[in-house]
Amino acid sequence: MRVVILGSGVAGHTAAAFARKWLGDAHDVTVVSPRDHYNWIPSNIWVGVGLMRPEQVTFDLRPVYAKQGIEFVHGAAKELHPEGTAADATPYVLVAPHGAAPDVRERVTYDYLINATGPRLRFDKTPGLGPDGYTCSVCTEEHARHAAQALDAAVAKMRAGQRQRIVIGVGHGSATCQGAAFEYIVNVEFELRQRGVRHMADITWLTNEYELGDFGMGGMHFEVGGYVTPSSTFNASLFAERGIEWVTRAHPTRIEPGVVHYEQLDGSTHTLPFDFAMLLPPFTGVGLTAYDRHGADITAKLFQPNEFMKVDADYTAKPFEQWTAEDWPSTYQSPLFRNIFAAGIAFAPPHAISQPRSSPSGALIAPAPPRTGMPSAMIGRAVARSVVDLIHGAPAPTQEASMARMGAACVASAGANPFTGTAAAMTVFPIVPDYARYPGFGRDLKRTFGEIGLAGHWIKIILHHLFLYKARLRPGWSLIPE
Amino acid sequence: MPRLDHPYVPRPTRFTVFLRTFLPWQLYRFVRINLKMLGIIRHSH
Repeated sequence: MRVVILGSGVAGHTAAAFARKWLGDAHDVTVVSPRDHYNWIPSNIWVGVGLMRPEQVTFDLRPVYAKQGIEFVHGAAKELHPEGTAADATPYVLVAPHGAAPDVRERVTYDYLINATGPRLRFDKTPGLGPDGYTCSVCTEEHARHAAQALDAAVAKMRAGQRQRIVIGVGHGSATCQGAAFEYIVNVEFELRQRGVRHMADITWLTNEYELGDFGMGGMHFEVGGYVTPSSTFNASLFAERGIEWVTRAHPTRIEPGVVHYEQLDGSTHTLPFDFAMLLPPFTGVGLTAYDRHGADITAKLFQPNEFMKVDADYTAKPFEQWTAEDWPSTYQSPLFRNIFAAGIAFAPPHAISQPRSSPSGALIAPAPPRTGMPSAMIGRAVARSVVDLIHGAPAPTQEASMARMGAACVASAGANPFTGTAAAMTVFPIVPDYARYPGFGRDLKRTFGEIGLAGHWIKIILHHLFLYKARLRPGWSLIPE
Repeated sequence: MPRLDHPYVPRPTRFTVFLRTFLPWQLYRFVRINLKMLGIIRHSH
């Protein structure tokens, strides 16, 4: 049997490593990815403030896969043919090989397919957004390096006596990953203090969140001092303490040199001038298309309109009040093809977690649900186990990894220094609120907590080295939890 | 008199800020936070 994994990010790499470990030599494991190096994305924020080099958050995947016996195909998956052709029913993927002419395609056959293609960064959704426009990003190590250079230029101007306006947050009303932008803004603020120019900068948080601290998860609640307190309180406190201003409920509509144009939920329109801006883009799927054995387009059957893959979730359109934790997928198996799974960002969530809201113009202004980091890795591992068990004769997927029954631990750096740095250490359980099991707040308040301190920074540093060690598949890697 | 920006937002006390980087307390919190995170990991797998 041949297991093909599309993507070499957190979910895909984890799935490939465990599939290889559990399958033994009798079966083949192939990774197809346009990237031949692994990027530990959570540490990109440190590249973005110049504290790390891109080489410190990446490594070459080829020798790692060669050593483990994982075949690597360097290219981007373009088309799925889950039924093969009329003449040959072997399913296959058409791949655009890296560096080849645009119309060249390579056929990669499979018995089981794990789609872990991650997101397409949709800078194009907002004119002027992104490194090809007028703002920076930390989504990739190269984007982060570019951001660090732009930040250095801003610091040089501050040292020359020019006040600088810094805007950090999201570049579209439907963007996600507010956690990464949050880490970046508090790290930039800390770095400016370290470089002695904080007094020369006006820093503003620009977000599509309805309230601060939403993070695409509808916020969190913590038990503190005899009260159950929303994360918005802590987020606002953290910003106010650091002199960071904020704009919530915003949808950037276009970026011009030095100016963000945005609309808010109440329909009002505004501009926000900047000298340095890091704004994250919205995500969609990577745009895979699918065809049946006769060549008919079945993309809409396999994928949602946002290009993420349909799995065992309840995609029935229903009002926010009727959303339940049970809508969320648990096995990540395609309902159409039992040998296709999706993991990580590539699976289509049944709906948002944060309540969706629209402006009078119809613009959706609400964070999309996060599926990065720990949940991505856990889903990748669970899917790999199910595929291995199916190959060994199991009648159905054996593993479940619903985000409604899974917790997450997150450490958000708020300043990188071994003695004066801090980080917000948070845990949340479950990721998707379950109001049936946990009436009121939707989460287990004993397992949902957050605090800021130096200990969090130490944990963040340890996690950086630990997860890169694990991703390099060094001895004992599988003992390190996701 | 200078006024506080965002006067309705809670601020940490000086003692809370001090504890954030006070090594003995942070060493203790390091152990406690790790145990909490391990609990989450064990409960989620």
